[in-house]
This record gives sequence, structure tokens and C-alpha cells, in this order.
Amino acid sequence: MGQRGLPVNYSRRGVLRTMVAGVSVLSVSALLEACGASAGSGTAGDKGGSAAAGQDSGKPIDLLRVALPGSLSNLYPGQESGILNYYAAAVCLEGLVGVDAQGRIVPALASAVVRKDPKTYVYTLRQNATFHDGSPVTVDDVLYSIQMARDSKVSPSTASYWANLATAAKTGSSEITLTSKTADEAFGWVPGNADALWIAPKAAWEKVNGKIGTASALLVGSGPYKVTSFAPDSHVEFTRNDAWWGTKPKVARIRIDFIADDNTRLLAWQAGKADLALNVPLAASDQWKRSAHSRIVFTPDRSYAGLTFNTSVKPFDDPHVRKAIAYAVNRQAIVRDVLHGHGQVATALSTPEQFGGLWTAEEATRQLAVVPQYDYDLAKAKAELAQSRVPGGFTANITYPSTGPQLGTAALALAADLKKLGITLNVKELAIEQWLAELNKGPALSFMWYFNTTGDPGELATWLLSAGNPAKYTSAKVSGLVAQAAGVTDPARRAMLLIQAQAAQAADVAYAPLWWGQSAVALRDTIGLSGYNSYTMVGNWPGNVYAAT
Amino acid sequence: MTLFILRRLGMTVVLLLALSLLVFGLMFAAPGDLARNLLGTKNVTPEALAQIRAQYHLNEPFLEQYWRWLAGAVTGDFGTSIRTGGSVGGMLTSRVGLTAAISGLAFALSVLVGVPAGVAAALRRGSWPDRLLVGVSVVGVSAPGFAVSLILLYVFAVGLGWFPIYGTGSGFLDGLWHLALPSVALALGLGAFVVKLTRAAVLRELDEDYVMFARARGLAPGRVLVIVLRNAAIPIVTSLGLMVGYLFGGTVLIEVTFALPGLGALLEQSVLFKDFPVVQALTVIVAFVISMTALLVDLAYLAIDPRVRARTVRR
Repeated sequence: MGQRGLPVNYSRRGVLRTMVAGVSVLSVSALLEACGASAGSGTAGDKGGSAAAGQDSGKPIDLLRVALPGSLSNLYPGQESGILNYYAAAVCLEGLVGVDAQGRIVPALASAVVRKDPKTYVYTLRQNATFHDGSPVTVDDVLYSIQMARDSKVSPSTASYWANLATAAKTGSSEITLTSKTADEAFGWVPGNADALWIAPKAAWEKVNGKIGTASALLVGSGPYKVTSFAPDSHVEFTRNDAWWGTKPKVARIRIDFIADDNTRLLAWQAGKADLALNVPLAASDQWKRSAHSRIVFTPDRSYAGLTFNTSVKPFDDPHVRKAIAYAVNRQAIVRDVLHGHGQVATALSTPEQFGGLWTAEEATRQLAVVPQYDYDLAKAKAELAQSRVPGGFTANITYPSTGPQLGTAALALAADLKKLGITLNVKELAIEQWLAELNKGPALSFMWYFNTTGDPGELATWLLSAGNPAKYTSAKVSGLVAQAAGVTDPARRAMLLIQAQAAQAADVAYAPLWWGQSAVALRDTIGLSGYNSYTMVGNWPGNVYAAT
Repeated sequence: MTLFILRRLGMTVVLLLALSLLVFGLMFAAPGDLARNLLGTKNVTPEALAQIRAQYHLNEPFLEQYWRWLAGAVTGDFGTSIRTGGSVGGMLTSRVGLTAAISGLAFALSVLVGVPAGVAAALRRGSWPDRLLVGVSVVGVSAPGFAVSLILLYVFAVGLGWFPIYGTGSGFLDGLWHLALPSVALALGLGAFVVKLTRAAVLRELDEDYVMFARARGLAPGRVLVIVLRNAAIPIVTSLGLMVGYLFGGTVLIEVTFALPGLGALLEQSVLFKDFPVVQALTVIVAFVISMTALLVDLAYLAIDPRVRARTVRR
């Protein structure tokens, strides 16, 4: 699930262009978890409203109108894997597994999952599940969909998630066994529609040579809604699939309009043209809030923003330099002033909501407290710099994507503090595409801006702490802990090991976490969204929508 | 005459080839990495990146990549969009109608309103309606399309509720209603340009000796005007031809603002993504349309001006 948010498109696992800024895809903000939110995610605040406001009248909803920022050109997330693509696919395509409101893996087209040993997963296919075209879901369809998901031509965006798959085989009339090359907890997420598997009939794949999800090859899935029309960059319409195996959602039809221009979307919202708007731009959230019959809800979106020091390049190969900068970052002020409070000071690489299946966000925050912190203190920063090889300061550059203006503002705030230490930080904005290419070159100092998609606490941390990490950071202790975590099947034990690895890294400051982001949704007062949190939209989200009184 | 047309068509082919090579080169040199654009910041192995690059032949030398594209394009195969996975031909045909409709409406609006307004202003040179018209057209020419769009949206769609805010609507009449504001937004800048140009061309002719002579001979004002307009037509027709390029450029912003899935919006996204098959196809098609318009404009000269006709036929 990585994604890039591209303009509008958004990506999940990655940095997104759109996300944050509010616009497009994910945005940032602070507190408040919806009131009815289930345990597991986020803290509640009072800046906006609650997603679950009003009483559930129990009445059916004929049409739910959703306004998305950005645009979708293809509905198959294997091809175009922005976060918005995941939201749209979540109602129509299913994986073997899915994700629940607590961020746990739950059965979807598989009615049961058994992990026979650390490397072997056995999935029992749901009986009587059918595709939207009426054909039964068979083991062959699933295996063919896996084959397509692994094909980098058909699924360029997500094929790499399957790198750890050793074999996929039919082991019974309705049984599929997947084995992984190495024991890894994260592998359990891969065959799900929140990660890298979307099951369609083999015939549908073959008919269009794998190129499903375009306007001329509408998706055929097995989920609670079927696609009835799709105009790329314009809109997509879904109708409820009454043959679906799960509880029937109350919404009969969904129309999602893609409105790339923020101003136009705000005007459309003010004119009452939509019932639900996702990823409301943080900078404009006050204007949205003032619209009639509306409420804005901020929830942690499991995104991480932080600095990455390239530990193989001067002067950042010197731990004193890295510590000096870490001390000079005023995270509290950034969250308060740059994010307007719609975010949380990040103390580690894993966001608290990532531990959803295991701990509540509060509990996870407590556990993460063992990670050493470098609270804002210019005197300590000066002392660290004085001990470094560049006591008089130096000049460094940092770039940020145009879709994340808050990263730029944060960088400018940091530059002002660094100036007091004699360090000149040049800040430059780049188009998201250019910025991504820049990251690839391993700059000396860079931002990491990442949106987790799974509920795996190791999703980002494992990458940032293993070989091939963007900080070029090596530590025998840290890699030992990460390797140990990969082989452990007890989730609590694994989480503790991952936290210990992050604590060990924090002592060396290869990364300086800045904030865990939040995003905002706008809801019309006529509807409610129960249990809304950062996992809602990658599951059967229309199932949580109700007519409010 | 036939020779003239054939020669122009031959030049168009050369122009398209040169342009496609240039645009391909620019896309090639532009910063960014297509494979990374597909994958975002997620954690991928160097092998996975290499595989994607190999798949789209991104590692081949520039000319080889261009040749690969050209070989497909001359047979009508514009390839597959890297961003969406759809066929470029299909993407273009599904969107061309919308962009043509907006551009056509905007063109018709700006000509039908701009030319008569420019003539009227020239005939009343120095009067207050002239000054007003010139003042308004200066604003029209200078106002950025997206700002005009937002003002129109705010006033006519949100405030007065006369027009829809975004989207394409369904059916002919509903579609036309949805395209009204985008077309007006696009036509404003264009129409203002037409007004200024028509006014200048007509004024220049009005100052000519032949006009004074015709008037002195007692020709009716209407007949004098016909002569003036015919003479003023060449610069006006030329500028209308040039406007086709401007129109397409204008649709980029207008389509994004009004959430319309046309070629302009597609070009914006494709350029950002470095989705070169789409950018190449769009560039070639737009260049072709502009070339053909220029040819039509030249043919129109022949119809309008006997002097040009005589020269061309003699050659």
C-alpha cells in the first residue's frame, strides 16, 4: 500500500502528495477521534465534530454523495495505488483478508485463516461467495488474481509487496496455501485489499489482458458494492450488491465525484452537493467548518513525518551533528503552529495507531515512551555541535514536496533555529515527482513522509531500520532486534522488540521524528459514520454510514 | 493550388516529427523518475525498480526509446499509458469530445461577441462605449483563467445557483448547461483578445485613404463598412487561427477547476507523472490540429483576398 499521492493520486505507503496538504489525499490535523470510535485509535479532541454525531435513524440511504480531492484514472490499486484508489476499491474488490476497525486482519473472501507454521498460511475460501457477474468465487480465480497481483506489468504499484511469497497453491477444493520465503508477520497483510490483493474472476482478467479497472473494463469484484459507471477523472458510481455475504449496508448507491481543485470542492460542499468529503485541506478546514449543516472530524491518519539523516555523508556521519539538529527541532511548536494542533508530536517511527490490533493508541503511546527523546533545547544543541567535527556550523539543503507545504513551513522554522547555531539550512520546494526522484538519490538531509496502510507496527519501522534504509544506517544491535522481531509470532513480543529497536536507533539519531499526522473529513449533518478512524476507509466503509436524525 | 496544399501537408509532417522529437527530449530530460512515480516513497528493492524501468524500456538510449514510440505511432498505435494502464488511443477518444465541445463553445462565443464588439468600438472610436469596451477587454486579457473560473463559480453557481458547479452532466442539454460556465470562463480572455484585435484592424482600415475616397464619392456607410471589413479580415482570421493553440492551453486550467475529464486535465496529470506515451500523443494531435487550422486560415486568405489568390496561383 504505498502510495504516492499524486495529484492527486495518493499513495498510501508513501509519501503522498496529496494527502497531507489537505488536499488531496490525506491531510493533517489533530485530535479528536470520533466519538463513537472504537478503542484502538487515536485520541479525541474537540476542534471539529464527531463522525458519529446524531442518532442512527435506521433509515436506508438511497444515495451517498462523496467528494474526493484529486482524481482516479484507474480503479485497480495494483495499477494506480493512491490512498483514494484503496478507498474506492475497498467497497468493490475483496482480498482473502481485510482489516477491521481496530486495525486487525480479519477474514474476507477467506472464511478462515490458519497460520500452520511461521511461514505457512492456509486460507479456506468462503462458501457461496459470488462475483458481481454471478459466477462463484473459486480457488482458480483467487490464484489467478494472486498471479496478476505479482505481475509487475499488470500491478506495477504493488507487485513488490509479494516479494516474500514462496508458493501459492491449491491444497483443497476450497483451500489455498501461501508460503513465505522468510517468517514475517507482515506477510499476513499481503493477501488483503488493504495491501496487495484484489480478487477478480479469472475470465475478467483474461478478457482484458490483465488491464482491469479502466473505464472500458469496469471492475468485477465480490465486495458489497458493484461498479455501475466510471469516468476517469470525473466520477464513479456504485450500487449495492445484495448477494454479498456480509451484513447489508444501508446505503443503496454511492456516487464519488473527483474534484481536483480545492476551491471548487469547497464551493460544491457549501452548495450542498456532497454528503461526505475526504481529506479536507488542513489550511482550509475553518472555511469548511463554517459551511452550513457540516462538521469536520480530525483523526490520526497513521502518517509519519520526520527528518532522515544520511549517516554515510558528511557532516551527518557525525552523531553530534545529528543530535544537535534533533535538539534544535521544536516539535511542540511545529504541531501547535504549523499543523494548528492537528497532529501529534512523533516520538518514534511507528505511529500509536499502528499497534491497533494489540493496544489502544494510549497504551501504544505509553509503550513508545521508552524511546529516548531530544526535546527542544538550543543550549544542548549548541553543546552537541561544539563537540562535533564542524563546531562552527555548516550549510545543508532540504527539499519538500509541493503537496506537503507543512513540511516546508516546518523546515523554515527549523532553519531559523539552526541559524542560531551557525548552521545554514536551505529549504527548497519541489514538485512531488521531482521530490521522489530526489529522495532516490539519497540526499544528506531529507524528509520522510509516509502513510502506513496496514495495522502492522513494523510497516515503516522495519524498512527504516533494515539494510537498504534511506539513512544508510547500520547498527548490529538494531538489525539484530529487527531480525528477531521478524521471526517472532507473538504480536506483543514482536511489538516490544520493534520498540526496542527504535529506542536503540534513537540513541544514534539516524531519524528525527517530527509528527504523526491527522486527516480531516467533512460530513453533512444528515449522515453519521460510526466508529470512524484511520482504518475505516480501507474496510467496508459504507457499512458504517447511517442516516442521522 | 493542389500543389500548395500538398506542400503544406508535407511541411506539417516534418513539423510533427520535429515537435515529437523535441517533446520526447524534454520529457526525457525533465527531472523525476517514472518508476518512482509509480511506486511513491514506499520501500522497494532496487531490483523492483530496475524491473519496472526495464518493462517500460526506460534504460534504453534516448533515440532507441523515441524510435520505439515513433514506430508504433505511425501505425496508429500510441501505446499504453504508464500511469493508468489504459490504451492511449482509448483515453484520448473518450476525452476529446469534451475538450472539443468546451473549445468550440468558447471559440464561437468569443468570435460571435468579440468581432461585432470590436467593430462597434472602432466605429465609435473615443466614445465612452469604446473606452468601456477597451477597458473591459484589458481586464479580460489579463485575468488568469482559474481566477475568472472561480469568480464565475462563486457568483453564478453558488450565489445565484443558475449553473452547476462541476462535472459533465448527462444528456445533451444537461451537458451543455454544465459546459456553459467553463466555456464562458475560457471565452472571456479569448473574446477580449478578439475585441482588441478587431478594433485595431478596423481602425487601421478606417484611416486608409480609400475609405475617405469612398466616402467622398458618396458611397453608403454600409457599403464602405463592407469594404473595410473585408480588408480588416486578414489579420482577424489569422488571429482566430492562432487562438486554437491558446484555446487548448486554456482548457488545462479550466478543466481542472471545473472537474471536467477532458484532454487538458489529462495533459496536466500526464506531464507531472512523466507519462510520456500520453504526452506524446496529445502533443502530436494538438500540433496537428493547429497545423490544419493554419492551413485552413491560409486557404481562407485565398477566398478573402484576390491579391493573395493571384500570387499563390502564379507560384
